Amino acid sequence: MRGAAVLFLTLYLLLAIVGEANSALSGAHVWLFAGGLFVAYPALAAPVRGGLAVSVLGGLLCDAVSPVPFGTHAALFATAHVVVYNTRERLQRDETAVRVAVALVLNLVLYLAIGFVRIRAMPSGAIVWPRLLSDLLLSQGAVLLCAPWFFALQERSLELARAIRARPA
Amino acid sequence: MRIGRSQRFDQARPFVVLGAALAAWLMAPVALRSLVRASFFEMTAPVAAVSSYASDVERFWSLRLHSKDELIEAGRDMARLNASYSLEVQQNGELQAQVERLEALLHMPPSERYRFEHARVARRDFSGWWQRMVIRKGSDYGIAPGDPVVYTGGVVGRVAEVHAYTSVVELVTDPGLRIAAVVDGDTRPVSYQGADNPVFGPPHGIIEFVPLDVYASASAPKRLATSGLGGVYPPGLTIGRIVHVESSADGLFKTGEVEIDPRISELTEVTVLVPTDPG
Repeated sequence: MRGAAVLFLTLYLLLAIVGEANSALSGAHVWLFAGGLFVAYPALAAPVRGGLAVSVLGGLLCDAVSPVPFGTHAALFATAHVVVYNTRERLQRDETAVRVAVALVLNLVLYLAIGFVRIRAMPSGAIVWPRLLSDLLLSQGAVLLCAPWFFALQERSLELARAIRARPA
Repeated sequence: MRIGRSQRFDQARPFVVLGAALAAWLMAPVALRSLVRASFFEMTAPVAAVSSYASDVERFWSLRLHSKDELIEAGRDMARLNASYSLEVQQNGELQAQVERLEALLHMPPSERYRFEHARVARRDFSGWWQRMVIRKGSDYGIAPGDPVVYTGGVVGRVAEVHAYTSVVELVTDPGLRIAAVVDGDTRPVSYQGADNPVFGPPHGIIEFVPLDVYASASAPKRLATSGLGGVYPPGLTIGRIVHVESSADGLFKTGEVEIDPRISELTEVTVLVPTDPG
């Protein structure tokens, strides 16, 4: 329970950072999406109940600040969480590189899924695709850069809260 | 090696739990979902507000570093602007009185009156899918969903959501926003819709149902303004400049492209027009 609460706080921090970055980049019409980071660590490292709850709550946080039907992010994050959780035993999930790769794949899939949810509101798909594509590429770059730091932050936070055993120095 | 039935169920259990949770959520009452949404929004709102206040403090201290000569110069310019605006306020008052006299003579319904509520922008959220901003005033200042939002360059958008002390504004560049508009010098209404917002480029909108005798190009653009139809925006507010029109597929009307003022992407303060008589 304590571990889930700590992970949720790190997702709240992530949402705040992403929101600030998007606000700062708005003049250049650049928008970053980091949905993969919300799901990757809870799905790869947390126990099933706590991890799923954290992914769903992270999704609800994203839903609250987005004009999509409430629950869209939560449902997508939960589905992604369950899929990754079921395959995690086949992955070297303690390796940072593997976690980053999972975060990148999740980010791509979630971005496309939200795109399909939202595409009905668009005047013409052809007009907006270049912008969506550039946002996706920049988002993947940002996730690639930030993921190692964010996973380390999540792990260290859990250690500080004594939700997991600290690694030997 | 064959997988046992219980082991197979263990693998499927997360999917079963997920399916049950999704079904429960879909069947949950709308009131419960609205309450959860509002609770989660209020949970995230302080971050945007605190960051915005921190930016204001930062700006305040950077302004404190200006020399006294610069302040005296700025004060002098401000006094000149105030003098010219005072004159325009008097003229505006005269014109307003004239309009009211004519409305009374012609037995016309009175035009809508607004209270100006200035608000700082706390956060901007400009994705390819939506274009929104959060402002630092909400139901505590009487703002309601649907209220028009303007700035010196014209229309910003309309209030989409109102929370306790913040509001979410849907921008005029949002692909989901439609406005009844008129081309400058014409009274026939056209339909405006937000469109693409290319990276490092000015935002664009599209217009439909443009009469065939309307011409505009990048070298000879035409102003697009609100028509006043629909009851949300007062008439005459600038939306953008029409830079291209061409015949639509059916040949009955034209469609066109509207360039929006790029300042809309960097606004720090906007004005909400709150109707004084919402009934």
